[in-house]
Amino acid sequence: MPNEFIDGIIEAFVLLFTFDAEVWGVIFLSLRVSGTAIFIATLISLPIGSYIALREFRGKKVITNLINTFMGFPPVVMGLLVFLLLSKSGPLGDLGLLYSPTAMIIAQLFLAIPIIIGTSKAAIESVDPDLKETILTLGANERQLWWELIKESKKSIIAGVLVAFGQAISEVGAVMIVGGNIRWYTRTFTTSIILQTRMGEFGMAIALGLILIIITFTVNYFLTHLQMKG
Amino acid sequence: MNLIDVQNISKDFIKNDGSAQNVLSNISFTVKKGECFTIIGPNGSGKTTLLRILGLLEEPSQGKIFYLGKEITNLSRKERIKFRRRISFVRQKPVVMNSSVINNIAYGLKVRGVEEREIDQKTKEIIEVVGLTGLENKKARSLSGGEIQRVAIAMNFIIDPEIYLLDEVSANLDPMNITLLEEFINHIKENKQKTIIMSTHDRLEAIKFADRIAVLQDGSFTQIGAPNDIFTSPKDEFSALFVGYENIFSGVAKIDEVSGLNQIKINHLIITASSQVEGEVKVCIRPESIGIVKEPPKNTSYRNTFKGIIENIRDLGNICHLIVRCKSEKFLITITELSRKNLKLEKNSEVFINFKATDVKIL
Repeated sequence: MPNEFIDGIIEAFVLLFTFDAEVWGVIFLSLRVSGTAIFIATLISLPIGSYIALREFRGKKVITNLINTFMGFPPVVMGLLVFLLLSKSGPLGDLGLLYSPTAMIIAQLFLAIPIIIGTSKAAIESVDPDLKETILTLGANERQLWWELIKESKKSIIAGVLVAFGQAISEVGAVMIVGGNIRWYTRTFTTSIILQTRMGEFGMAIALGLILIIITFTVNYFLTHLQMKG
Repeated sequence: MNLIDVQNISKDFIKNDGSAQNVLSNISFTVKKGECFTIIGPNGSGKTTLLRILGLLEEPSQGKIFYLGKEITNLSRKERIKFRRRISFVRQKPVVMNSSVINNIAYGLKVRGVEEREIDQKTKEIIEVVGLTGLENKKARSLSGGEIQRVAIAMNFIIDPEIYLLDEVSANLDPMNITLLEEFINHIKENKQKTIIMSTHDRLEAIKFADRIAVLQDGSFTQIGAPNDIFTSPKDEFSALFVGYENIFSGVAKIDEVSGLNQIKINHLIITASSQVEGEVKVCIRPESIGIVKEPPKNTSYRNTFKGIIENIRDLGNICHLIVRCKSEKFLITITELSRKNLKLEKNSEVFINFKATDVKIL
């Protein structure tokens, strides 16, 4: 076992530094899928989150509770739902998106949206109410107020986006179900590590695990850095 | 037409346990264009809530407010912003945004869509006036407390709106900034086109600026009137104790070339003062510096002697207040009960009052 482990680490470095096409293909696909999902999720969630934070309306409590619940939605179940949505007999089956990177983006998008809505809502709500009123009394309209509050709480908003990215890139259940773990096409860090470990190909598993750890460390480093500055 | 017409405003806050706490009840008043209307009252009397309602930051539980005859208590979101852009709400606690000094100061003009060149020029001017030159590009929040106060003053006064709502603005300022703020307020008042509605718990501040004063106690106005009415004839003990007593008059001062003394014309009365300030002034004479005699005094050093009639006497134990009318003006005079008895001063007695030119303080 120790030998296997050491061999695995050596192989991992060889694969990484000889720029093995498959290993780096998996890395780039994972980054592309999660990056795209988080980017789109931010565009959708930031306006919704700030709308809920800024406006008073009926059902605000219910919506807030719903968002909080969905922030911890089990990825496997999300995978299942998106699978049913995109499968041949599903409502969007005709698009033929199942087992494609697009399907994985959709699943991660739905997982990330509640997280970013929830964190950006909390971030904007946490801005000093005195400051909010000062901006209003200086004559800002709603859009101008919104923009100032986003700027004011940008650290917390970025933190929320980073958390969502960290969860997306290390998530396994949903991408496995809707992506199908197809070699050279929909194989990501996590699905690949599972497969390689099962097959006893520790080198590739360790190489991908290392990169994944480096990515999550980097994300967390920025998170801590933001919190320290804030 | 009145600029602002407040009709029967009440405000209840709903507490966490569901019970209502009444903060304002049945407040009505009007404010004319160019007027300085001052709300005076102790902490917790509801001053801030009233100003917040006027600034559309809070909705009244009952009652209506009209601006130039148009109701503003039921405006749509868009119209509310339009009205807010006519006012500047200077808050008790200055807050600045997380950006540079210059961006903070320019913000009010920027959101109003003022031209870039005009913004540059105006911010430059005001930064010099408030003494923040050299700090333009510093983060406003990194400045000292006093400097932040000056940023906040500049932020609010650069807008140059129709109406200023000033909520106990000097309460938290350091002395140098109070002077700066007062210069701004005086500057606004000179212009006569701008309306000020301010709250304060400091009677000297009220005396300095107010055209009319409203006394707010436990959420209701106990009295509204010209400063001298409030100070010479407080309606109840509360107003009297809280507001204090002063004789305050507005008039026009002109220095007499022969005597070199200042002659201040107050309606039909001319008061002599030693101060050399000319033009429109407010003067204050402390009730305890006015003497009272029954016979016309001869050979006195007092430059001011007026004949009058005692309109009212208020007994306050071993001292008493006399309200004496001399031509157009009423004076409040404090004397001991013993002197009153010795001089046999009664209601409607004819008396002479006198005070020194040096006791006439120009505000």
